[in-house]
Amino acid sequence: MPQVDVNKIACTGCGICVETCPTDVLRLDEEKKAIMAYSEDCQGCFICQWDCSFEAIRVRIR
Amino acid sequence: MGTHFFETDVLVIGGGIAGAFAAYQARQAGARVLLVDRSYFGRSGCSALASGVYPSYMPGDKVEDWIKGLGAGPLVNQSLFVKALPVMYEHLMTMDRWGVKWLKEGREIVRLGAPGRTFKNGAWMAEGGPQMMMAVRAGVLESGVEVLNRVAVTQLLTSDGKLPTEEHVVGAVGFNVRTGEIYTLHAKATIMCTGPYKFPYPWPGSTLGYMPIDLSGDGLAMMLCAGAQLSRLELGGINLNPDQMLCAPGLESLMPSGAKFIDKSGRRFLEDYDSKRMEMTSRALLYFAIAHQKELGNIPSMDLKEITPERMELLKRVIPIIMSNYEGAGYDVTQEPVPYTYQVAGTAGIFGAGARINDRGETTLPGLYAAGTCSDINYLPGGHLPFCSVTGHWAGDAAVTYVSETSLKPLIPKQVEGAIEAIEAPLKRTGGAFYAPVHRRLGELLMEKVGLVLHAERLQAALDSLLDIREREVARLVARDAHELAKVWGLTHYTQVLEAVLRAYLYRTESRVAFIREDYPIIDNVDWVKMVLVQRQGDSLKLWDEPVPESFHVVPVRPTRNLHLVFRKKEPLHAPS
Repeated sequence: MPQVDVNKIACTGCGICVETCPTDVLRLDEEKKAIMAYSEDCQGCFICQWDCSFEAIRVRIR
Repeated sequence: MGTHFFETDVLVIGGGIAGAFAAYQARQAGARVLLVDRSYFGRSGCSALASGVYPSYMPGDKVEDWIKGLGAGPLVNQSLFVKALPVMYEHLMTMDRWGVKWLKEGREIVRLGAPGRTFKNGAWMAEGGPQMMMAVRAGVLESGVEVLNRVAVTQLLTSDGKLPTEEHVVGAVGFNVRTGEIYTLHAKATIMCTGPYKFPYPWPGSTLGYMPIDLSGDGLAMMLCAGAQLSRLELGGINLNPDQMLCAPGLESLMPSGAKFIDKSGRRFLEDYDSKRMEMTSRALLYFAIAHQKELGNIPSMDLKEITPERMELLKRVIPIIMSNYEGAGYDVTQEPVPYTYQVAGTAGIFGAGARINDRGETTLPGLYAAGTCSDINYLPGGHLPFCSVTGHWAGDAAVTYVSETSLKPLIPKQVEGAIEAIEAPLKRTGGAFYAPVHRRLGELLMEKVGLVLHAERLQAALDSLLDIREREVARLVARDAHELAKVWGLTHYTQVLEAVLRAYLYRTESRVAFIREDYPIIDNVDWVKMVLVQRQGDSLKLWDEPVPESFHVVPVRPTRNLHLVFRKKEPLHAPS
């Protein structure tokens, strides 16, 4: 399954990835950092990585 | 849970490129337009994940050169294809104005070749589908279209309160996929732009190949439920993707860049299918050949080693998602080939399958329009994207004309209440079935009984099992939150469409391109130049056929009967048990 890795230092909690994720996988946690709330629905489309202005997200496919 | 009410002239459901152009066109003509998207407008569905190419007509092109590229046979509406050409160019220019970054030499848009094209006619997106759709989004929003994101529509509303209706479509009901809040959307005209559906197809050993949750055919199910005619469902064809990945196949840009398809022994197997054009053969044949090799166990793989470093850098910009998928899956494409697989894909496939529409985007129900891959005239040799944008344009135009001639018909409160009750039922249910095992069981069923090569006995068994799963499990699905509710509704809609597809599979007694019947192996251009139509009547589905009108054909159809390529092969072909 695809995996979204979030660099919690680089993540500013802007929420753009949460806003744009096509399959609605991401949320902000209590520390305002992006997390995979519904990892089973990640389609590995890289939109979150593409949309992040802070290079805080890396997607792995396998 | 909260409830929201919106009233508009034109309701557009779905925010890919078809929905974007439908909304824009209607808004340009002065209508109030509301676009609802189950995801985020500009990021949802297929358009943002496109293969980086918008094939477009340009002034000076010869129409006959475009016609020559129509390799998908006599069921194509060639006349409509010709009519679409100048609109493609208009859209290319509109998107250029909106800031879509095309590959250019100086100020001129460069076009490159692709499989099945008789000449170079594909405009490349210099920063891929993600940039294209965000620029399109900005252009549409600037025109004054209102947008609701994260609202999944579940049911159409009708002026007589009936499904199927004998009157008009007057809007829809849905819910927010995060909060569960209900949205009642009252409209003079509704345009369905909800994209394709895809079979859940878990290949053995593959962690992927399942149904993406946003390709569940919701719009098709809703239109079927409302009584609209659907057509060509059996000819939706197959879809390709790299094994273990869910991205687009990238053929439009990878093949003309020098990528090759090889089998497990390193042989370029396209030689067996089209030794002259090889990988630049028609899209239909290319898709079929790869699926066929997969069935034969030959591990069809994309070999990118001959692509120059300069072109590879360009591809990283033009198809960023596909190249990221290769990298993210751990492939060094300069050293090793990438295995590909196929999925039986419904309307994501070759011919265009979905709501029966005319050249105005009108479905068979008053007040309901359809565009893009949920309509039956999306046509791949011209490219999915241009046909989606063009059919959106036509539907937007026609909806505005309808709106100017009609009054807003009242909603039927009892129907709205029933729709809301149905939406919330999986959240209130206790002791039912859960999404994941039901979804997995459907995938196993299709793997076992459907596959690439079809047979009436297996199809009937698949249909029987589907109806059983639907009654015993899908109808009892439980959702634990709004996110899961969206998946439950996706699966519910998906199984409704799947019944229609399996029945259409059984109805067409011939073979054609990627529709392959072991029990009817002949490509029959004498008796089967026909459309198969499906319509809900009461609680059951009615199927019938109609000849393809002669007006479709710019080039006349030759009345031939030929054995399908699959059955001309010497190798034993795997078919599901």
